[in-house]
Amino acid sequence: MGEDGELELSRRELGAAAAGTAVASGLGILGYRRLTREGDPGEDGPMNPLAEYPNEGWDQKYRDIWEPDDSFVLTCTPNDTHNCYLEATVKNDQITRLGPSMNYGEAMDLDGNQASQRWDPRVCNKGLAMVERFYDERRVKAPMVREGFMQWVEDGFPRDADGSMPEAYARRGEDGFVEVSHEEAHELAARTFLELAEYYSGEDGTESLLDQGYDERVVEETRGAGVRTMKFRGGMPLLGVIKLFGQYRNANSMALLDNHVRDVSEDEALGAMGLDNYSFHTDLPPGHTMVTGQQTVDFDLASIEYADHIVLDGINYLTSKMADCHWLTEAKLKGSTVTGIFTDYNATASKCDEVVTVRPATDSALFLGAARILIKDELYDEAYVRKHTDLPLLVRLDENELLRASDVFEGYEPDDLEKTDAVAGDGDRPGVDVTDVDEQVITEELRREWGDFVVHDADSGAFEPVTRDDIGDDFEVPATIEGEFEIDLADGETVRVRTVFDLIKESLVETWDLASTAAVTGTDPQAIENLARDFADNQQRTMLLTGMGPNHYANADQHGRAAFLLAALTRNVGYRTGNVGSYSGNYRMAYFNGVSQYANEDPFDPELDPAAPARTDKRWDAHSAHFYTNLDKPLTVDGEYFQGDSHMHTPTKSLWVSGSNSILGNAKGAYKIIEKALRTGRIEAFFTNEWWWSMTCEYSDIVFPADSWAEHHVHDITASVTNPFITTMPETEIDRIYDTKNDAQHYKGVAEKLAELTGDDRFADYWAFVDESEYRAKPYLQRILDRSNAVKGYDIEDLLADAREGTPAIIMTRTYPKHVGNEQTRDSRPWYTKTGRLEFFREEAEFAEAGEHIPLHREPMDATPYEPNVIVDDSDSPVVAPETPDDRGWDSAATARDTSDRQVRNVVTSPSELVESTHPLTVLDEGYDYVYMTPKYRHGTHTFGSDLKQMAVWWSNYGDMGRETERDSFDERKPYVGEGFVEMNPEDAREEALQDGDYVWVDADPSDRPVPGGDAADPDYTRALMRVRYQPSLPRGVTRSWMNVPQTSHKSYGATQERDDGKAEAEDTNYVSMYRQGGHQSATTTWLRRTWLTDSMARKDMLGQNMDVGFEPDVHAANGAPKESFVRIEKAEDGGVNEAGDPGGNWRPVDEGVRPTREDDRMTRYLRGDFTTESEGGD
Amino acid sequence: MATVYNWQIGREMEYPYPEARPEKQWGAVFDLNKCIACQTCTLSCKTTWTNNEGQEHMFWNNVETKPYGSYPLQWDVEILDRLGVSEWSSDGVYEGDTIFEARDVDWEDMAVDGDPETMHAKGIEGYRPEKRDWAQPNLGEDEPAGKAVESDTHIDGDHHPTWFFYLPRVCNHCTFAACAGGCPVQAIYKRQEDGIVLLDEDSCESYTECVRACPYGKSMYNPVELNSQKCVGCYPKVEQGRVPQCFENCLGKIRMHGWVNRPDEADPSAPVDYLVHEAEVALPLYPQLGLEPNVYYIPPINVPTDYLTQMFGPRVEDAQETYRRARRGDEEYRKLRAVLHLMGSTEWRIEAFEVTEDEAIGYDADGSTVARVPMTEPQYERERFDADNDVYRLDIT
Repeated sequence: MGEDGELELSRRELGAAAAGTAVASGLGILGYRRLTREGDPGEDGPMNPLAEYPNEGWDQKYRDIWEPDDSFVLTCTPNDTHNCYLEATVKNDQITRLGPSMNYGEAMDLDGNQASQRWDPRVCNKGLAMVERFYDERRVKAPMVREGFMQWVEDGFPRDADGSMPEAYARRGEDGFVEVSHEEAHELAARTFLELAEYYSGEDGTESLLDQGYDERVVEETRGAGVRTMKFRGGMPLLGVIKLFGQYRNANSMALLDNHVRDVSEDEALGAMGLDNYSFHTDLPPGHTMVTGQQTVDFDLASIEYADHIVLDGINYLTSKMADCHWLTEAKLKGSTVTGIFTDYNATASKCDEVVTVRPATDSALFLGAARILIKDELYDEAYVRKHTDLPLLVRLDENELLRASDVFEGYEPDDLEKTDAVAGDGDRPGVDVTDVDEQVITEELRREWGDFVVHDADSGAFEPVTRDDIGDDFEVPATIEGEFEIDLADGETVRVRTVFDLIKESLVETWDLASTAAVTGTDPQAIENLARDFADNQQRTMLLTGMGPNHYANADQHGRAAFLLAALTRNVGYRTGNVGSYSGNYRMAYFNGVSQYANEDPFDPELDPAAPARTDKRWDAHSAHFYTNLDKPLTVDGEYFQGDSHMHTPTKSLWVSGSNSILGNAKGAYKIIEKALRTGRIEAFFTNEWWWSMTCEYSDIVFPADSWAEHHVHDITASVTNPFITTMPETEIDRIYDTKNDAQHYKGVAEKLAELTGDDRFADYWAFVDESEYRAKPYLQRILDRSNAVKGYDIEDLLADAREGTPAIIMTRTYPKHVGNEQTRDSRPWYTKTGRLEFFREEAEFAEAGEHIPLHREPMDATPYEPNVIVDDSDSPVVAPETPDDRGWDSAATARDTSDRQVRNVVTSPSELVESTHPLTVLDEGYDYVYMTPKYRHGTHTFGSDLKQMAVWWSNYGDMGRETERDSFDERKPYVGEGFVEMNPEDAREEALQDGDYVWVDADPSDRPVPGGDAADPDYTRALMRVRYQPSLPRGVTRSWMNVPQTSHKSYGATQERDDGKAEAEDTNYVSMYRQGGHQSATTTWLRRTWLTDSMARKDMLGQNMDVGFEPDVHAANGAPKESFVRIEKAEDGGVNEAGDPGGNWRPVDEGVRPTREDDRMTRYLRGDFTTESEGGD
Repeated sequence: MATVYNWQIGREMEYPYPEARPEKQWGAVFDLNKCIACQTCTLSCKTTWTNNEGQEHMFWNNVETKPYGSYPLQWDVEILDRLGVSEWSSDGVYEGDTIFEARDVDWEDMAVDGDPETMHAKGIEGYRPEKRDWAQPNLGEDEPAGKAVESDTHIDGDHHPTWFFYLPRVCNHCTFAACAGGCPVQAIYKRQEDGIVLLDEDSCESYTECVRACPYGKSMYNPVELNSQKCVGCYPKVEQGRVPQCFENCLGKIRMHGWVNRPDEADPSAPVDYLVHEAEVALPLYPQLGLEPNVYYIPPINVPTDYLTQMFGPRVEDAQETYRRARRGDEEYRKLRAVLHLMGSTEWRIEAFEVTEDEAIGYDADGSTVARVPMTEPQYERERFDADNDVYRLDIT
């Protein structure tokens, strides 16, 4: 502390201050006093500034700052599920600040129903800080082309002997960028697409891909069309249907290119490939699809106030659901009880009535332990279980498949269904852009294949067939829930059958007693007991919200299945007051099922009448981006494919992304992709549309400058999974800040060049309504509105008129607020599963092979101190019978150690065996002891906003604006005004001899991270170096970094080495990293699972009412596991800086005595509240 | 004459100037049970008012995690330590020294005027933070105190043995502002019309005595402008009947802005007075410092009472209990629940409120309705088939 009374100002400063006062202020109070009072204190004595002030006129200063010239409404749309209209205040044609529109309370639906003012304000810290993002030097200010790429194009696309791009042209990350005109950039992209389509088509193309070492099956998937090596992706495209989902329209249009380069007819021409989003971000909860067949069950967050019990499982609601936090705190105020299940005492825990701690990624075990109590003590709701779940259905023990009615009843012919339309063939299915279909649609083939099912009638003792129609109120058989029977089949065979319930019960009872559950989860047994009782006591009154915590592990599917089991047993699925919801990502493109009017318009016959609907013809296919991050390798061991055909991908030769830093710069395994796919030349073209120079831009070949969210010249639309609003984007009222265009204008620009190169004008016609004068994409938007169930009836002009006032419209799903499951529970409609019921038994071969017929706990793939990825079960259940390493003749220990083989390794272990086991890395180095989590936090949405100066300084302990001003900076090692860090339990840190604030290395499995191939291959810039923070909220053995901060690039690393100020700011691109080396993604990689990659599991298509089986992007797809990591943490440098300016001593707050576990005496007294006493005396 | 009555400490106290209360007093209630530390308030202030060179370190509004967070570093530990153990009598009278009394100055003998030679600020206990104390505005974020977290930590109930909470802070526009009391050139004053405390930046002579005197650390020095600056209470908005920026932008909806009166003049139909004087659920921050701050906090129910008593005075336990009873649904606390619901729903200052069967309604000074919120968000159900538009309205599309 400064000495009492001591002025820290220098005389020079003081002199300047006095001079400034005299000059700047006119009179000022000093002058006033000189003129009026000097030498004359007056009759009233000295002035009392509580009562009077003579110089009030100075205050015009802040009135001038406040009063705007103008204002307009813009739309803030990061991937955080909120979407907010913000009012932009404009002065001198610049936006000076942003604020809430305060008009959500005016929102109405088509029936005249209105929202309330409780929705206002909608805004957040990132949104307000965004002004800096509009104007800062880090904007992508013009089209930028990487020098090496430009050279490659200009040199005529020279290739190595195997046909690949020579490495000399692939020095991504190091090359400089050249500014070009839009026209040039578009032409470069068009020429590249033409080259790729030509080069990789036909037999020569196939041969070249094989020469380059791509897997045969993967090459086969190109079907000889070069365009299928070209990938397109709009980042979370619901956030801007025109500008982001437009990338898939782009992919569709490539059928024109295929038609041009290959000798195929228009009908046979193929489109390019689109990459997934929701599932790539691991936001998809795969268990939801496994249980319900629907992408995700959720409800608007406003609904939680209708529930008596709110359970938050691994969702740090306070930091990731900001705009809707008041619904939680208000629900609590009105009496709802809030239970939090977390791995730490986090922000949200502080608002809970009950806090349950679990070991990371063991929530599935916790739920199974609770379900066991419900079942064993018969606390479940029999009627709900009987009518809405598959638990009463019978399973054949000889085949481990559901018993079919046709197995039992001779000559059984499936009836026509009332609630399901079985069409003759795929060609007879309705499109997705139809609004007058409310039945689920399958083919007759699927109808036959799926068949009908069988229950046992508890009253009559007879077996009864059950169809997809027989659910809810339409199912009246008093079906036996628990039991095993012998049954004579129609073919004369006799088999044993058991109910699904019976099978699950056996596994639960024998595995998940309280002690075993506690041992595996680390949880207090009383907490497990309480959880079960609370669900039982609050049937149809419990909202279970699960978040990104458990979702981001490889056992996320099992977590989801267990969550539904707990909820279904207690009638807490599908009700307004009792439901399950998963909250990560804003994904439900299906709100606009009419989007196929736009994305899938027939490229060979584009409709140029703005008032007419489009003809659709979908030519693009999709696969999961996980295979691009897996370096295009399929999931195989010893030549055996563990990846269904429907999930099979193609080689990645080009990628064009929009608004998508998660695809590269902040992708799991980012450094692997950079080093092994981009800098090797395997990927030949990487194009990015961005408005802020992200790490993805650092490694791109062409960066197309996109309009910011303040500069919409082309309209757009979005909706949300957590609120009921449709948000339409009005046009900007400021001039463009830099030389940018709308994303869709870039698609159009490239298309126009392709039209020139190919002579096919339809490329350009395809984007006819993308302009900024006449149409501004409105005809496309109206076509989508007119053919989407949830928005049909709205007129784009009306929506825009309201949007200009900051008033959204209300989406027209069945209810306000909306929630999923209403139709199934109340209207007795089937779920999108084979049985139409909530399914807890998965009979498909892929599940059999993995041993996962029923909900189980699998250990995390990597993030565990125990043996990873093992199934935990202690029963003799016949349905927990995976193909083990022994069955396959594999070396069990070796496959556990190998991070690739581990993905398909199935070993069953008991709870007690599990907790005696160790992670294979522990034998490698004694330092490997820590689960490392990389969740999201409040100071960024993914990487959006996190690196703005006014945000970065809030990243907990290491903010320092002095880093920016250079006036007060005291540690020039800091990469930026804020920096990334790893948090650790203080006792763990002390054991590792780490002081709070030290710099440390964080190393994951060296065999494949940061870059596959072992330590030697890892360039310096990729190894994670960051501060360590004593964080008493974490239990021992658990560590964490927040995933929102930008990582080290070649150039930001170079800057720390070369710049005088040591800042991690690239000299030419202005990219800034918040680590000195590497980052949180140094420890992550892609993980795959057999059960995500089936060809057989039934599920709804993403859009519309069609059901099918196997891959569907963002619905049933590779899902990854970004938090899977087990690390070693080693000291790199002291946290402090000594007088010589070298690392030395403690980070200052440690010596100040204010840090947890290092408190000095007065801090200790302060924490206890010892600075106040209450006396006994008084009146 | 330099003796004033500070109702928050239940007694008269010393102050450099005679008591002179404004016609109206800018006031606020922050419900800490709802604060989520999103820092949206911080950013709304920052992007509106302190966006210029020299203000980089300056956050007129900040939110800190208690107990390990503090901006500037250790501001409250430091001032508490300087005052020593403060004692409250059981009838709510503060028996220790305020910052105006700790140095035993006889204010009547000191010439309190605009002559910097007098340097009367020396009579106020305080300290001047170092530059680097402003460096880490979010130190200690989300770090808990109390019982160590273990792998089997289980907290059952709303008293948390492991705890932290968020404390959003702005200038308190104190009735007995130390910054105004300490300014050697009388350049800080309290507006009669609304009680906002302003620092006349044209007249500031950079003695930084306000920085030293304000125990809340809310007066800050601008090394580029070479003067001190502080929160302006958003007077350009307040003059228009609007709430300040950090209130309008508070998405946690924890803030109510309005006029606050002394207890004997309380108006229970005004929301701030209701919460402070009628429900007695909102308390001043460190009242023992003696400034009669005008931001009132509803204490968090999860936090140990001893710590909160140190921070909000002896009425904390009652306030916590009131909040708990409101949660339990006790009918007599329905009005309290309704007012807390009204928070943050309008950009206009609510000067009076009313609670009906289903709604809470807020009125401005003219009696016009500016806020109307249902106690429970309405629910609507649509027809499955919308014949007008030939469309099925489905949950799953």
